[in-house]
Amino acid sequence: MTPLIEARRVSKYFGSVIALKDISFAVNPAEVHCLLGDNGAGKSTLIKIFSGVHKPSEGTLLVEGHEVVFNSPRDALDAGIATVHQHLSVQPLMSVTRNFFTGREPTKGWGLFSYFDLTFAEKTVREEMSKMGIDIRDPSQAVGTMSGGERQCVAIARAVYFGAKALILDEPTSALGVKQAGVVLRYIVQAKARGLGVVFITHNVHHAYPVADRFTLLKRGRSLGTFAKGEVPREAILSMMAGQEELEALEAELAESARHGAALAAASSRS
Amino acid sequence: MKRLLLFSALLAFGLAFAQGPARADIRIIVVSHGSAADPFWSVVKNGVDQAAADMGVSVEYLAPEIFDMPRMAHLIDAAIAARPHGLVVSIPDADALGRSIRAAVAEGIPVISMNSGSDVFQGLGVLRHVGQTEYEAGFGAGQRMAAAGVTIAICVNQEVGNVALDLRCQGFQDGLGEGASTSVLAVGTDPVEVRSAVMAALSANPDIDGVLALGPLGAEPTIAALEQIGRLGQVVFGTFDLSPLILETLVAGNMAFAIDQQQYLQGYLPIVFLTLYIQYGLLPGSEVILTGPGFVTPETAAQVIELAARGIR
Amino acid sequence: MATRAKPITDERVRKVGIVNKLLSRPELGAVVGAILVFAFFSLVAGDRGFLSSRGIVSWLEVSAQLGILAVAVSLLMIGGQFDLSIGSMIAAAGMVIAISVVVYGWPMWAAILLAFAFAGLVGFINGYLVNRTGLPSFIVTLALLFVLRGATIGFTRLITGRTQVPGLHPQAEGDWLAFLFSGTLFGLPVSIYWWLALTILATWILLRTRFGNWIFATGGDPEAARNAGVPVQRVRIILFIGTAVAATIFATLQVLAAGSADVARGRLKEFEAIIATVIGGTLLTGGYGSAIGATFGALIFGMVQQGIFFTGVNTDWFQVFLGVMLLIAVLVNRYIRHRATVAK
Repeated sequence: MTPLIEARRVSKYFGSVIALKDISFAVNPAEVHCLLGDNGAGKSTLIKIFSGVHKPSEGTLLVEGHEVVFNSPRDALDAGIATVHQHLSVQPLMSVTRNFFTGREPTKGWGLFSYFDLTFAEKTVREEMSKMGIDIRDPSQAVGTMSGGERQCVAIARAVYFGAKALILDEPTSALGVKQAGVVLRYIVQAKARGLGVVFITHNVHHAYPVADRFTLLKRGRSLGTFAKGEVPREAILSMMAGQEELEALEAELAESARHGAALAAASSRS
Repeated sequence: MKRLLLFSALLAFGLAFAQGPARADIRIIVVSHGSAADPFWSVVKNGVDQAAADMGVSVEYLAPEIFDMPRMAHLIDAAIAARPHGLVVSIPDADALGRSIRAAVAEGIPVISMNSGSDVFQGLGVLRHVGQTEYEAGFGAGQRMAAAGVTIAICVNQEVGNVALDLRCQGFQDGLGEGASTSVLAVGTDPVEVRSAVMAALSANPDIDGVLALGPLGAEPTIAALEQIGRLGQVVFGTFDLSPLILETLVAGNMAFAIDQQQYLQGYLPIVFLTLYIQYGLLPGSEVILTGPGFVTPETAAQVIELAARGIR
Repeated sequence: MATRAKPITDERVRKVGIVNKLLSRPELGAVVGAILVFAFFSLVAGDRGFLSSRGIVSWLEVSAQLGILAVAVSLLMIGGQFDLSIGSMIAAAGMVIAISVVVYGWPMWAAILLAFAFAGLVGFINGYLVNRTGLPSFIVTLALLFVLRGATIGFTRLITGRTQVPGLHPQAEGDWLAFLFSGTLFGLPVSIYWWLALTILATWILLRTRFGNWIFATGGDPEAARNAGVPVQRVRIILFIGTAVAATIFATLQVLAAGSADVARGRLKEFEAIIATVIGGTLLTGGYGSAIGATFGALIFGMVQQGIFFTGVNTDWFQVFLGVMLLIAVLVNRYIRHRATVAK
């Protein structure tokens, strides 16, 4: 099947820094593709390329098989790619309604006299959120009064409502507790059920594993490969992600310094 | 009998009204363009306060913190709303203040102007003007310098375009007469700039034997300039207005005269005139009551210094 | 998570909602403050002129002039920026009008239109610099405060040799555009009508249009706004043009009232406008606020600045009062905002 969105042999350089090298990554409809990697692996950069913030230095982007170039986040949005960023998605001081429709406000009237149709907007927000199982008591309440999980859900509901074909979620659960993370994960499953392709970025395998269909591992700008869920066990992924070799080397080093420290203490107590 | 009593009572009542309010009830508001923090205007305010005490009336002194015509117009509007018995204003800008002053006159409030506005006050319906007229003061200065034998003079003007200052230089020129030549030296208000400009002018033309400054802003840097080129005391040097440095220079004999507009009188007299007008309808015959020029010379400077310390000159 | 039955919760929520909604409105503090200040001065000075028709017009006029600036500034501050160049703009715009008319013989309406075109240019420069350099608007507009003021003094001295340009009243007679900026209508100065009109316009833009939503978003979190497709840079430029235009309206009103322009006018007006805006409930950090609040802030300002005179208290104390009022207003507003945005 044709992937919804695809990056083909994409590289990104910032001056002399190689943020991404030769990455190929694709998401199919009704699929959750998890993008894993430790800090500095290049996940954010890849996401910014998909969402139109950066242009790739090399390689191509494709949407539904057609090559595209995004000049701004607006272009990506118009192509059906909705990105929900980690911290920068919703405005705490604005109401749910205003947040929901930022940048795509429904209007009535013409020309200079067109105004923001708040009645329609509020009604829509209530409906969309309840479809996802959240009862918004008062859509004009400030988003800042909502819990972290609810805020993420507002952002995701917004993306789904505006006809996103592909949903890119950048660390949506990283700042949340277990219960709230569960809310978001359930939401992701629902989005997938509606036919969206979801890119789920995280460095937390335990959140990713239950909902993902495929995994791609990034390490220091390069891809370590793409695996379907059944192919590789969870522990193997975890170890690849965290760099099992580095961890073992670190453990050995720590043990060595502990021994050294104990020996010094014993020597000084004797003399 | 009853009718006679009633008649007498009515007559007494009517007479009481004809006399106007008692002094203790009279309220006068002064709106000026100079805040009392300014040394020049604090002398005016002292005059106002003393007159209020002497006359037994209550007076308020209002002014914007800096020279601000729109703000002053608002203060006059507020003063009108407070319905005082009389209003004293300075009129540095008839265009900006005209509407408010006319409104006061239309409300039946007697208005006397002081300090500035000697050529516009009548057109606005203001009763009298108390102040020094610029042209006449400049003329007097010119005459004095001519008597001292000055033939080539400069008039240091720190704000060319300010009508009052321009008139002073104009009067000065005419007062000096046909036998002398005068020119206006246009400078800014920055002391260093003024000093350099004066030095340059004097060095360029060593025949200049008379210098007139229009206020402390021009005079003090000129003193420094004369000192620097070693000609302090050698030219006939006069100025408008007083300041401690000017008085010192006078006492030392390095200055011929300073023109004191005696602003104490500009604060004092309007209160007296208004009180008598409000009570009895009395007003001096001349439309402009001149408070200057009062020439302070090296002989009288010492006494003036003492009065300046008391805030009277 | 199951959906609860709708009807019962909706009705209960609606009742509590209205009270809560009112309490959480940003302008609440300013409205209450204005009522208190008015009550205070009416009690203390009502019969000494504060409540006389002349007295009311005198403080309304001061409020109106500041209010014209404050509503534009409130929109800009909600959008996350400061404009410290407003005061200098007032002097500059006034001088553009005066010099064009008096020195170059332009008709008054042309001079006024030129001043507004100039405002557009200055606003654009402010916005463009902020966008391009990424410097805080505080710095950029502070620089323009000096540049504009200096240029005004420099050009005026160069062209006219002085710092004041009088003689405008005769030129304004019969001019169709000057007519809109001077005189009275039904006994009220025309500035009051401008104030009301601009307040209504600013409020409508802020609360009822798409652009208003963009202002909130740009001020609250420009990154998130940009990611949502809001043209953040364009919004900023338009807002800066707005404050420059407001300064020009102020300048035109002032120049036609005084009949002259002066290079020293407008000093400190930018701070007065910011104070009125902050009293009105707008956050210094952006993203939240109210144009109506700014208008009430300006009203408080006018009542106090003129009202103090009627009480007989020395007008020097005005600044003490202003500072105390500002602190109280900010504390009250912070409490209200806290209530409105903290997670329940």
